[in-house]
Amino acid sequence: MAMMNDSRPHYPDYSTAGAVQHSFNPYADNGGSVVAIAGDDFAVIGADTRLSTGFAIYTRNQKKLFKLTDKTILGCAGCWCDTLTLTRILNARMQMYEQEHNKTMSTTACSQMLSTMLYYKRFFPYYISNVLVGLDTEGKGCVYSYDPIGHCERSTYRAGGSAGALLQPLLDNQVGFKNMQGDAFEKVTKERAIAILKDVFISAAERDIYTGDSIVINLITKDGITEETFPLRKD
Amino acid sequence: MYNGVDQFTAKPFWHNGPAPGAIYNFPGTKTHGTNGSQRSQTPITTATSIVAMKFNGGVIIAGDILGSYGSLARFRNCPRVLKVNDNIILGAGGDYGDYQYVKDVIEQKIVDEECLDDGFKIKPKSMYCWLTRVMYNRRSKFDPFWNTFVVGGLQDGVPFLGSVDKLGTAFEDNAICTGYGAYMALPILRSALEANPSPTEEEARALIHKCMEVLFYRDARSFPKYQVAVINKDGTDIQGPLEIQQNWNLAHMIN
Amino acid sequence: MSILSYNGGAMVAMKGDQCVAIATDKRFGIQAQTISLDFKKVFDMGPHLFVGLPGLATDTQTVMEKLRFRKNLYELKENRKMSPKVFSSMVSNMLYEKRFGPFFVEPIIAGLEPKTFEPYVCNMDLIGCPNEPEDFVVGGTASAQLYGMCEALWVPKLKPDELFETISQALINAFDRDAISGWGATVYIIEKDKVTVRELKTRMD
Repeated sequence: MAMMNDSRPHYPDYSTAGAVQHSFNPYADNGGSVVAIAGDDFAVIGADTRLSTGFAIYTRNQKKLFKLTDKTILGCAGCWCDTLTLTRILNARMQMYEQEHNKTMSTTACSQMLSTMLYYKRFFPYYISNVLVGLDTEGKGCVYSYDPIGHCERSTYRAGGSAGALLQPLLDNQVGFKNMQGDAFEKVTKERAIAILKDVFISAAERDIYTGDSIVINLITKDGITEETFPLRKD
Repeated sequence: MYNGVDQFTAKPFWHNGPAPGAIYNFPGTKTHGTNGSQRSQTPITTATSIVAMKFNGGVIIAGDILGSYGSLARFRNCPRVLKVNDNIILGAGGDYGDYQYVKDVIEQKIVDEECLDDGFKIKPKSMYCWLTRVMYNRRSKFDPFWNTFVVGGLQDGVPFLGSVDKLGTAFEDNAICTGYGAYMALPILRSALEANPSPTEEEARALIHKCMEVLFYRDARSFPKYQVAVINKDGTDIQGPLEIQQNWNLAHMIN
Repeated sequence: MSILSYNGGAMVAMKGDQCVAIATDKRFGIQAQTISLDFKKVFDMGPHLFVGLPGLATDTQTVMEKLRFRKNLYELKENRKMSPKVFSSMVSNMLYEKRFGPFFVEPIIAGLEPKTFEPYVCNMDLIGCPNEPEDFVVGGTASAQLYGMCEALWVPKLKPDELFETISQALINAFDRDAISGWGATVYIIEKDKVTVRELKTRMD
């Protein structure tokens, strides 16, 4: 438009497309939400299974949880092509670690490696909201959350992805007991954590069009990982 | 006099400040107007939707044979469903030139494989994975292949159907449609699969034909001739061009 | 940055059993800088009628004055109180008059219908497109957080004291996750024969 400073009249209705400059955007927002809650001896993580762009649903059945070790799981939401690439490189580096050191990586080591890998792409980032959960070396549940360029924070609960803003205050209230009166709060149990997780996803599916179809929930305990699915609204 | 300058968007209150009516534009997050060189690409000769689904014991992929040049229906014989080998079929939408280039690369891979003469043939999941990496690497160089590929095949006798787009976004599903097909054909296929999750080959063919018909009537970049690739236990088969029987008797009733 | 999020603010209204509630934060700021902690954004427009105007603070006050003027004129001409539904239509019409140079407020209206005392809530975009749902409405810069909270906490037929608890928890937890709203809250519970105003102490960071 800046080139059109000449005095010729411009009639939009009669303009033709001509050579259109189609600028290329290397990122896509494929939606999806991840919620994680950690307890003293467990960690749960859930992610919805909708993969979408704009108003189109690519598939209703896309797993977004990636098992890294027997006690570490990564949940990803955001740009799906970046997720695919990141998780592949992550798996390769996990394997390299295992073969070099003859042991599997601890959850804390995984969390640091992920941060480094994200920051390595500081100026062409992986556009992903990552949430890593697992049991630490003492067997305690932990949640690590990241921004797209590798900032990492350890916490006990986290909501990420397209419905992150909707869900995080709810977790503050229901899991973190924020703004509640009294002082004797019962610690969240496995069963309660899974129930909260399902509830918050039901709420998210009401108001976020990029979250829905169903959720996959992974529970990590010292006995291993169990998986369950739970249906959400599909519209 | 109208001089082509945008008169409807208000200017910011101050330099780089908030503008009335604009939404969320944090300072420092502008993605356009960088000083670096950019190899931006635009599709030239394009092909429209691909329609594909799994059926009991195989996969079917269909696409019409029109190469559009903008809104001009320029090339009327552009086949874009491909037999890769006895295990794999491939459909492509988007830029036809990019498709032909990728096709050449794939065919060279097959030749290289034949030369090894070890009896090994690439399988659908490998093909799909390879394509994902090719597409992602090109998008990371800001020089993408402007295509959406649909890979179908039999992986150890089990039907496989996956899709890869120009960014490297890849996923598998029982029914996949690209372009306008994602809005018009995919709902037809999904509701049919919900009613009958495991259709026969004949049922699948009829469904695909129905979808191509719907797309022909409503997608302005479509064509009444299309090809169908089918893979089942007996091997790969590409049929067509098949013709859609047009009937515009109702057209005069649409105002 | 949108001009709607220049000053910040969070607001929510909910229906209950024979009652409605409207709650707001009290912050007034200029972008990230907080200026005052007792900024009024919800206004009394009649015995059972409240309007909240989250958005650009200057327009909050201008629109409030204009609405009060038009409402008073109506009441003098008609010699009767304005019902919430009529008030909503008036707000909507007034905002649409400025379709191409709008006031940057997204109003929330809460009240009880005269005679029947049916609860009523409504919100609008800045050019007056109304929405009258059966449950709750939210507005301001913490609207995403409020949607998440309300969608989980709200249930039908809440009694006034339950409604107070629900709306307070929804608002406080929502704006604690928004950098430009919070710093105290006010809750109005509107019942048939009384309006209860409560000031909430919240974290101030």
